[in-house]
Amino acid sequence: MRIAWPPKGSLQRRLALALTGGVMALWLLATVAAGLLLRHEIDEVFDSALQEVVQRVLPLAYTEILAREADAGPDPQQVASVGAHREYITYIVRDAEGRSLLQSHDANLSQFPPNPAHGFSDGPSSRLYTEVAVSGTLIVTAAERPGHRQKAVRDAIKVLAWPLILLLPLGIAGTWVLVAVTLRPVVAFRHEIEARSSGHLAPVSVTHLPSEIAPVAEAVNALMARVRRALDAERSFTANSAHELRTPVAAALAQTQRLRAELPEGPALARTVEIESALKRLARLSEKLLQLARAEGASLIGEAPQDLVPALRLVLDDLSIEGAVEVALPEAGRFVSTLDMDAFAILARNLIENAVKHGDASQPVRVALTDDGRFSVVSPGPVLEPELIASMTQRFVRGATTADGVGLGLSIVMAIMRGVGGEIAFASPASGQEDGLEVTVELPAAKLTAG
Amino acid sequence: MRVLLVEDDPILGSAVRDQVAADGHGVDWAKRLADAGEFVRLAHYDLILLDLMLPDGRGLDFLRGRRQAGDTTAVIILTARDQVSDRIAGLNAGADDYLVKPFDLAELSARLSAVARRYGGNPNPLLQIGKLTLDLAARSIVRDGRSISLTAREWALFDAFIQRPTMLLSKAQLEERLYTFDSEVESNTIEVYVGRLRKKLGAEVIETVRGMGYRLGAATLAGTGKSPP
Repeated sequence: MRIAWPPKGSLQRRLALALTGGVMALWLLATVAAGLLLRHEIDEVFDSALQEVVQRVLPLAYTEILAREADAGPDPQQVASVGAHREYITYIVRDAEGRSLLQSHDANLSQFPPNPAHGFSDGPSSRLYTEVAVSGTLIVTAAERPGHRQKAVRDAIKVLAWPLILLLPLGIAGTWVLVAVTLRPVVAFRHEIEARSSGHLAPVSVTHLPSEIAPVAEAVNALMARVRRALDAERSFTANSAHELRTPVAAALAQTQRLRAELPEGPALARTVEIESALKRLARLSEKLLQLARAEGASLIGEAPQDLVPALRLVLDDLSIEGAVEVALPEAGRFVSTLDMDAFAILARNLIENAVKHGDASQPVRVALTDDGRFSVVSPGPVLEPELIASMTQRFVRGATTADGVGLGLSIVMAIMRGVGGEIAFASPASGQEDGLEVTVELPAAKLTAG
Repeated sequence: MRVLLVEDDPILGSAVRDQVAADGHGVDWAKRLADAGEFVRLAHYDLILLDLMLPDGRGLDFLRGRRQAGDTTAVIILTARDQVSDRIAGLNAGADDYLVKPFDLAELSARLSAVARRYGGNPNPLLQIGKLTLDLAARSIVRDGRSISLTAREWALFDAFIQRPTMLLSKAQLEERLYTFDSEVESNTIEVYVGRLRKKLGAEVIETVRGMGYRLGAATLAGTGKSPP
């Protein structure tokens, strides 16, 4: 399973963050509310305990002090306790002059201000409760141990918050995995669409998609079907126009050549030769325009991966340029690509034709196709200026040459490479030598699939 | 050779027919696959020029059908479909060569001869027969340092002998190679042309087997080599 950190703006990241964040925020809110409520309740309970202590102590103190006055000892007395222990509530009994008459054994005098207000009050370090009796001569004050109440609230909140801290990472991880698993079909759907390049328009599979995404996939499929129909129409139009155009041109050329063969020497023959060369130019131009239309419009990705080596062989065969070209084929003997065989043939033909036409005829053109799909053509000749190379790629620019041609070859090659998202690189001097022009294209390799 | 042209375009077809005929071959021209089927049943062809898109079907299907029936006639496809995949399909269907329209008629002639030579078992256009040095591609013959020129018809007849050097060819076979359904064959045409060849190349070059036909002379054949030294 892929649980990598998804990119910003990804649905998985958003969902995971929102879900974990939301749950955590709610939990935190609930904890705060519970803490406040608890605090209120604890205040009530603790206040009531304070009051209770004072009200219990008061009659006892009264009896005790009366009994003591008979013995007449002015020293304050501590109530005899069963054993010393930590007291959470201490009290002190004082007379009207503020003299301490009685106090609990753990009472700290600094906690008790000299004249506390009657009822509840806040002392220097703790909550107090004071009750006055016997016409103001007996004042009983109880104090809570400092910080006790706060500690109780703190402890309670801590207990409530602990699971939150423990569960936070667990929650994040859980949500993450859950979201990732839930989104897996969507991610697969995305990859499937990404893997398509222009021209590969088979419908994507809709079966495993959640119901929210399936309509999107269906819409994509419908769109692709429309594009496919349009492309098919364009492709058949290009193919048909090729046929419709080629046959009359072929007929005119053939008739002209027959005429030339049958005519005696003279002005008519000279004219026929001119017609023939014009027709040949027309044939070349229409062929290049059709190639360009094909490179720009039609499908450049084959329905199934194809071995391009036979196409290259056929092109080399066809150009009948034996001796003028050195060829290096892949070591494996084949190169299987997603690039359409016909598109590759057009590309290879144009590059090789250009190299032969514009290169130094005394040296061979070097054509190489490597195992990883680098197809390069080196035309011998002087080193070219970068500006000249840039101008070559423009349409109908033919370079400083007397060779015939219409200046569309490189445009066709570039249209094909643009169509498949590939790179085309020009290098002058060619790699590994001091002169020449090297044109290299990276052909898309077919992904190796089982079988 | 006797050639069958299958092409539906009348203007292109007539030019191709004239070109092939001017090279000295006998040409029959079928404008539909149905006619082509009829022609191959009635005559023996040495080579078929086949267009792929015809009004009544696909040339490739015709070619596959011929090959499946065991026909080994040489086939050159003439087509407007220039895609490499189409060409690979054509070659895989059993074509020997492939010409994309528009093509040069001179190239058509050259390919026609090249395919025919391959079928004859000797792709080398240079040939030595006895005292004759032949360049089949250039259609030139040199004897004793002197070049001899033959008309297209004479070449076509002589070519029939060169292609099967040891075979005895009947007059009917030779007529079939040179003439088509359209042309009238005069009863003594073959004799006339054989006579002209003997006059130009030497009497011993072609010998007559009485009542049977003609073949390359035994004396000529004795010195036959595949190529000049």
